[in-house]
Amino acid sequence: MELTQYLLDLSGIGRNRLQVRWVSAAEGQLFAEYVTEVSDITQKLGPFDPDKFELPLAAVERTLNSARIRWLLGLTKQITEQGNVYNEKLKKEDFKKMLHRAAEEEYQKALIMQVLEERPLSVKEMAEKTGLAVYTVSLRLNELERCNQAGLKQYSGNAPIFMGM
Amino acid sequence: MEMKKPFEPKILAFLCNWCAYAGADLAGVSRLQYPPTLRSIRVMCSGRVDPVYITDGLKSGFDSVFVSG
Repeated sequence: MELTQYLLDLSGIGRNRLQVRWVSAAEGQLFAEYVTEVSDITQKLGPFDPDKFELPLAAVERTLNSARIRWLLGLTKQITEQGNVYNEKLKKEDFKKMLHRAAEEEYQKALIMQVLEERPLSVKEMAEKTGLAVYTVSLRLNELERCNQAGLKQYSGNAPIFMGM
Repeated sequence: MEMKKPFEPKILAFLCNWCAYAGADLAGVSRLQYPPTLRSIRVMCSGRVDPVYITDGLKSGFDSVFVSG
């Protein structure tokens, strides 16, 4: 959930759109208070327009479904508490930082894959559509190419056009 | 003349069967007042909620998502 909130922030939707609260079965009063609180927060945020956030939402979903993120999340306990066969562990904060970095990269890749799904594009066009820097796009595109998720389609003049695979 | 309706948030709620759902039940039985903004889905455990459900919820037009367990 923490990672989902981080991704919502990254995509400009904002982490407050996802609220998590713990209530036990005996705490009806607390539940009513939380519902009021969450209602107030949403009231302040205003209505959410899914059409405006179509691209970021799709990219967040793609990121959450990516093998890298799902594996990392699933191994949280093993990495931070049990350690590997050499008894090496990561500190909780270090793991969180690593997870956030991975999520950011996967999110950028997801954005690129998402815009490539429509039609093949040049790096410059991708940067315009996703709002990422041209340099970032070429870094991530390189990774996508190595994983055979994207590739060169043709040249338009001097500019290479890439497509998703 | 048409009156402009004030914005009433629509919140998608995932409630754990054993904790928050029972809590919500108790709140109802004790006649506590809370806003009618939740659309709740009962799950057998809040660990059952896949992060993708949250993006799905936002995509389908909810204003926010509330997970409680």
